[in-house]
Amino acid sequence: MQLSFGPEVEDFRVELVAFLDEHVPVEARTGFDMMDSGAEDRTEVIPEWARRWQATLFDHGWMIPGYPAALGGRDATPIQTLAYLEEMARRRVPRSLHFPGYAIVAPSLLEFGNAEQQALIPAAIRGDTIWCIGMSEPDAGSDLAGLSTRAELDGDRFVVNGQKVWTSYATVAQKCFVYVRTDPTAPKHKGISLLIVDMDTPGIEIRPLRHLSGAANFAEVFFTDVEVPAANLVGAQNDGWRITQGSLAHERAGLWVEGVSRLESTVQSLVDLVQRRGLTADAGVRRRVAAFYEQAASLRALGYKGFASFAQGSSAPEHSYMRLATAELGKATYELGMELQGADAATRDSERGEENGRWVNMFFMSFANTIAGGTSEIQRNIIAQRVLGLPRA
Amino acid sequence: MDFTLSDEQQLLRDTARTLLAKECPPSLVRAHIDDPAAADELWLRVADFVALGGGPLTDLCLFVAETGSVAAPGPFFATAALFAPLLAAIDHELTPAVLAGETTGTVALAGADGVWAANDEPVKHFVPELDRVDWVAVIEAGPTVRVVPTDELPHRLLATIDWSRRLFELDSAALPGTAARLDAATLDEVVRRATVALAAEQVGTARRLFDMALEYAKQRIQFDVPIGSFQAIQHKLANVSLEVERADSAVQYAAMAVDALDDDRRRAAHVAKAAAGTAATHSAKDSIQIHGGIGYTWEHDLHLFLRRAYGSEAWLGPTGWHHDRLADLLFNA
Ligand SMILES: Cc1cc2nc3c(=O)[nH]c(=O)nc-3n(C[C@H](O)[C@H](O)[C@H](O)COP(=O)(O)OP(=O)(O)OC[C@H]3O[C@@H](n4cnc5c(N)ncnc54)[C@H](O)[C@@H]3O)c2cc1C
Repeated sequence: MQLSFGPEVEDFRVELVAFLDEHVPVEARTGFDMMDSGAEDRTEVIPEWARRWQATLFDHGWMIPGYPAALGGRDATPIQTLAYLEEMARRRVPRSLHFPGYAIVAPSLLEFGNAEQQALIPAAIRGDTIWCIGMSEPDAGSDLAGLSTRAELDGDRFVVNGQKVWTSYATVAQKCFVYVRTDPTAPKHKGISLLIVDMDTPGIEIRPLRHLSGAANFAEVFFTDVEVPAANLVGAQNDGWRITQGSLAHERAGLWVEGVSRLESTVQSLVDLVQRRGLTADAGVRRRVAAFYEQAASLRALGYKGFASFAQGSSAPEHSYMRLATAELGKATYELGMELQGADAATRDSERGEENGRWVNMFFMSFANTIAGGTSEIQRNIIAQRVLGLPRA
Repeated sequence: MDFTLSDEQQLLRDTARTLLAKECPPSLVRAHIDDPAAADELWLRVADFVALGGGPLTDLCLFVAETGSVAAPGPFFATAALFAPLLAAIDHELTPAVLAGETTGTVALAGADGVWAANDEPVKHFVPELDRVDWVAVIEAGPTVRVVPTDELPHRLLATIDWSRRLFELDSAALPGTAARLDAATLDEVVRRATVALAAEQVGTARRLFDMALEYAKQRIQFDVPIGSFQAIQHKLANVSLEVERADSAVQYAAMAVDALDDDRRRAAHVAKAAAGTAATHSAKDSIQIHGGIGYTWEHDLHLFLRRAYGSEAWLGPTGWHHDRLADLLFNA
């Protein structure tokens, strides 16, 4: 499915295409497979070519087209932005291999930060500063508001004690958005604040954790009497919950196009795989692949339908639908890819099996999508309660 | 292409919704089980809208989503979604009268396997509303078409699961009149339009079943709380609502693609019918489960929509058949 747009958008697309043809690095053409989760055999968390590519996008106003030039954009309209995301997705070119800075920190600081904090935004979007997000804790995952990392105000600084976990990019980040409890006596949503913390501050200890796929991409982060300037408080003290809601919404807003496009390209890969394995006459296999095609295509239509609300940046109900559906379907499509390989599915051996273990890698990595940033169960709760208006338990 | 509805389209949808809620209550659907004439009054109320069959499919879909939502019986779908578009496509002399709602018709095409493609079988199967319409367009191998009056044609009413849509066998061996040539591509488009329109109807049925379940979940109290506060119920409803929204969007896209004669319309139509069938049958099953015992009764209206959902699923190609056709397009492209 490809929607056609007016000249305003098509001219924009022509310019984008010319830029991409000239600048996309060969490494980025390996496609989505290495986005955010990191392929198993990638040794660096953020390779040098990816840093250069992100900076190039920024310098040419193609990093976040809807933003002004100073923030790596070109004041694109929402529909131009959609065309941009589509074109990138169609070419399977990732913008960045670390989303926290441009997708969460930048929009949150734009909305809630003071002038000094907003000065951090360009480097966050250009990727010059690598950020991580410290939300989850050992006892606070889905129930994020139950977080217990403490920050006590002592004159002109906060003293932070506690632990974060599953913190992506913590091993390479310079800065972290740390959600802390500043009022332990208030109801749990009302005593949370957001601090900007430099990762080289004394008292921070980072212990890398490996993903189940093998990559070392997240970490535990321990805070022991870490002193953070009071000026690093984002928004009002004890008003941090509002920002968590906002930043998660920002993260979801643009991702549906990528999610759907990735799904569509996986379905196409399944078609190729079925052909290579000589299974084209298998009626059951054909039907299952077609059913995935049906679901991907109808999700794209749903995404477009909800686009008006996406474009205005509001958290449209379609966000939760799209996130839930693309994450769950992704897992199912990769699993079929493994199944189609018969006995070879047990291997990721370059001498046999398909595409050097691509399917099993993707299947294993796809588990992250139904967990990170709100599990599928939490998405269903959100749909039931916020979209359908069902009562909380 | 833009998914936002124009003011006129919103007005059309709202008008249809109000009209059909008023003119087609479940009591009418029940009365029609024993006496098909019970739907005659309804036909007079909706006849004006047959004109939609000669316009953009997008608009027809908005209307039939509402007929699906009330499981409307009668000749509307056969006339507006099958007969009128066929006549308009071949520029038949009856077209103005049909589009004006002055006369009714149906189409006979499928063979015993239920596939809506030209064939040389003398008996045509799954012909909708044959004995309550004035005309039938019989399509035979060639393809050719013959538009003949329905009176005194040999036919048999099928015993069906969905009494809101009456299906027939028609013996076309000794038909009067002469057959006119029909362009295969034209027939293809006509069947595609009807398929997408049926998918739109199914989305209406799916939404009705879902709305009934959602409302019941909010009001039925067990263990001192609304059952809708139980997560098992919440997640069922979340999953079904995702399927309904997905199908709704797929149908709208397919209708736009057909209207634009876009290359993607072949795939899009199969996607729409499969997505809508899945949404409607899942919605039916979960809605009954969420209603508990009351949902299993004859008195409750749920089974009227359950029947419509499964009847429509099997008609004009079940989900699996559309997946197979989609696979043909994917693997042989
Ligand atoms: C690859 C990856 C990267 C991540 N990166 C970051 C990061 O950079 N920063 C960060 O802060 N966090 C990060 N996370 C953490 C992630 O946000 C949490 O894992 C997630 O929110 C779930 O929390 P949890 O792991 O504690 O699971 P839990 O909340 O303990 O959930 C366990 C199970 O219980 C279910 N469950 C919990 N509550 C409910 C409920 N109310 N109803 C129904 N079921 C429920 C869940 O769905 C799940 O199946 C990352 C996670 C992954 C996998």
